[in-house]
This record gives sequence, structure tokens and C-alpha cells, in this order.
Amino acid sequence: MIIDPISIALITLGGVLIGLGVHFIPVGGAPAAMAQATGVGTGTVQLAAGAGLTGLISAGFMYNFLATAPGGFGTSDFILVLASGAVGAMIMITVTMFIGQLVYVYCVGVPPVSAKVDKDPITGDRQDIYVSQGTEGHGVPTVSFVSGTIGGLFGGVGGSMVYVQLMQIGNAPADPAIVALAGIFATGVFYVNAVLASYNIGGTIEGFHDPKFKRVPKAIISCLIASLLCAIIAVPIMGGVS
Amino acid sequence: MSAVEGGPASGGLPPNTIIAIGVIGGLAGIYLTMLNQTFDTKIFSVMGGIGSIFAVVWGADAVRRVCSYGLGTGVPSIGMVALGMGVVAAIFGLIIPETGILPIPTILGPVISFIVAALIGLVIGVMSNKILKMNIPIMEKSMIEIAGAGSLVLMGLSASIAGSFAFNDAILPGVVSTGYIAIVFIGGAMTILHPFNANLGPDETQYRTLYVAIEKAALIMVIAGFASLTVIDAVSAAVTMLVGLLIFLVYFNKFMKSVHREAYKVVGTGLLPSAEELE
Repeated sequence: MIIDPISIALITLGGVLIGLGVHFIPVGGAPAAMAQATGVGTGTVQLAAGAGLTGLISAGFMYNFLATAPGGFGTSDFILVLASGAVGAMIMITVTMFIGQLVYVYCVGVPPVSAKVDKDPITGDRQDIYVSQGTEGHGVPTVSFVSGTIGGLFGGVGGSMVYVQLMQIGNAPADPAIVALAGIFATGVFYVNAVLASYNIGGTIEGFHDPKFKRVPKAIISCLIASLLCAIIAVPIMGGVS
Repeated sequence: MSAVEGGPASGGLPPNTIIAIGVIGGLAGIYLTMLNQTFDTKIFSVMGGIGSIFAVVWGADAVRRVCSYGLGTGVPSIGMVALGMGVVAAIFGLIIPETGILPIPTILGPVISFIVAALIGLVIGVMSNKILKMNIPIMEKSMIEIAGAGSLVLMGLSASIAGSFAFNDAILPGVVSTGYIAIVFIGGAMTILHPFNANLGPDETQYRTLYVAIEKAALIMVIAGFASLTVIDAVSAAVTMLVGLLIFLVYFNKFMKSVHREAYKVVGTGLLPSAEELE
């Protein structure tokens, strides 16, 4: 069948998970690059794409291993690939946050602190007295770190879900043309959703404790429509190549 | 973070002229690669690269116009979304006539890609304004333009690597399977996002931004020529690289001249002082 509703639904769900995951990642943007805002000092798209593409690579490796093994590709294999993608993305985002944290604490010399809450919702530590005047926090406090890891989880699962579905439609796990096509399509869908989510948060967010996190429903609707459009276009293509 | 918040970009060529240059130049470049089949050669692959330069100029100008309002999330995001939408649309348009699902002649592939890209751009633009409430008056129009330019850049560079825009015969084995599509994706996004990102500020002018756009597009063209060494023959690849290098040198020179002319003063700082000199 050229247009498979289940594949379209799963690719759309993957896109929505990517959009959701971006909201969890502590993005500081340009102010954080000068240690004047909480989060890692770069844009949403770069952070989400870095983590998401790493997740895509680890998911692709796992998919190739499982799909070419005797016995075919079952439901438990599907979950394993998603887990592999999630772990890849989570490792990438945590390493980025950790190294960024080392730079903020030992090189810039600022305490990791959130300006959006008075007490860290996880550790209960006092935050407001450590925020330097005229800034919006610095570094990556515990709650943002945990939030970022959750973001990596969602982004990784979403990206690998898109990739696996496209590979399943292509139905040729060892064909480099199908692998490359599914990979570039997953990347395209990833960027579209990550950018829509970053437009929703307006550049910077600290994590799930940030007031901006309440805007999530709007991003989910947007990502749903955008991913649905991309999925309807992508599914016949992958079916057409094989 | 855009330095110039609010207000439309002004000066230079009017938007409609640039749109015409981008659409006609971009599509013409892609279609002129068909001369390869007519004359049974690969030498006209260079036209794809030249077409992509026109599309880049259009894309960079659209980025310049929309980013003058301040997106709140930095200029690079819009360049990445351009190629994100562009790659989905371009491959769809090129592949659909070849699958035979719809009775469309193969020759219409690039035009279908372009229309699909504009459609995706319209949906994303409308959502940005209506659902995400970005309130940028030209968002819908700009997103259509940026997606269209993204798809043209992708097709132009792919055609210059593979020597043809036929998907199953040329682009799939030559650009997708080899992985060059990743270079085209990121490189194409860079050419669209970088010119305004590098020039933004209160003294930004259109022609200086577009000099950078042409210069960057020519650089990616050189890289595409280098990639096509392994896909088509060495002479055609060398032609693409040489033409790209020539355009790069001319426009880099123009850019440097305009910087020197418009800067208050350009001074050399010399080398870093040694430890003794500092004491």
C-alpha cells in the first residue's frame, strides 16, 4: 500500500515528540553564551539537532544490527531501536550540559542558578540570592540538567521513530540509498519540528519549571500539522523507491 | 538574537525583482543541466551550480527581510528550516513523476518540488503567525520564499553533482547513496542563513549581504564540484570547481571593497605583542 495510515501516524507522533523534547532542553541562546542566562549558550536548533542527530546515528546502528539479523524485525526490536536512539540523544545532551557547566563554574566563575524559580524544584536549594544583578541566572542548575536529559529522551525517541518507520516502508535495511534517504528525511522532519518548537519558546527556556513551558500545547498542535504534512509526503516516496 | 528588532528591511533591489531572479534563474539552471543528455556530455552540470547561486540570492534576501523583524531565536534556525522543508519537497517532487503514481512527465519534477516546497512553507508560515503568535507581518510570504529557495538550492547542487535531475538514474545513486546529500543539506542551509547572520546590524545593506550570499554559494559550488569528481567525469567536475572559484574570488573582492568603503576605518592590528613588549 502506498499510503499507510499507521506509518503516517507514527511519523507524526515522532515529530510531535521532537517538538515536545525541545521544550525540555535548557537553551540559553546568546545571553547564556555570556553567562547572563540559565542554560547552554547556543540556540535551540543547534542543541536539539546535535542531540537528535546523535540519537539518529545510534538508532540507525541498532536498526541495522537488528533488521539484518535472522528472524526479521519485530515489535520488541522496534522498542530496542527507540531506546537506543533515546540513550544516544541523552548522552549527547548531558555531555554538552556537563562540559558547559564546567566552563561556567571553573572558567567564567558563576554559580549554576535559575532565575525563574526561588527554590530548585528537585533539590530545594535557594536560587534567588545567587543570581547576579541584571542577569537571568547562569549555568545549568540541577532542575535544568534533569529537564535537559528528559528532553534528550523525547527528542531521541521521536527522531528514531521517524527513521525506523521510513526504513520499514523502504524495506531494505542494507541498501545505502534507502538508509541515506530515510536519514536525510528524518533530519528534515527533525529540523522543521525543532525550529517550530524554538519559535514557540522564543529563543530561551530553562526547562520544565520555566513559565514558558506552559506554551507547550501550541507547539504540539503546530508540530502535529507540520509532521503530518511531512509524513504524507515522505511515506509515498519511501514506498516509491523500494 | 537579532540586533535590529522590528521594522522591515529597506533599500536596494525590490523584493519582487529578487524573487523573479531567484525563481527564473534557479529553475533555468536546473533545467539547463538537461543539455547534458542532448549533447551526450556532463560538462553542463555546472549550470546546476549557477542556478543554485540565483536561488541562494533569493533565499538570503528573504531571510534578510524576515529576520529584520527579529525572530527571537537567531537567524540560523530559519536557514535550517529552509533546507528541512526543501529536502522533503525536493525529493518528493523529483520522485513522484518517476514512480508513475500520478501521470506527470518527469520533466516537471523540479517545478512540482518547487510548488510543494511553497505549500509546506505556507503551512509553516501560517502556523507561526496564527498558532505560535509570532506576529511578523511578512512571515507567511517569507516562509514560502525560503522553502522555495531551499528546494531550488538543493536541486541545483544535486544536479551539479549528479549531472542530471533524474532521481532514480542520477540523484539517488550519485547524491543520496554516496551521502553527498548531507553536504548539500548543511552547505545549502549555510548559504541561505549565513549572509544575513554575518552582516546584520544597523548598518546592514542589501548589496553587501547579497555579495556574501553569492560568494558563499560559489564556495558550496566548488565543494559540489569536488564531490562530483567521484560521480561524473573529472573534466566536468573541474569546470564546476573553476567557475565556482572564479565567482567566489570576484564577489569576495566586491564584498571586501564594500566593507572597506563603508567602515569608518580599517586598521591592521599587527601580530600579538610578545611577552617582553608587554612589560
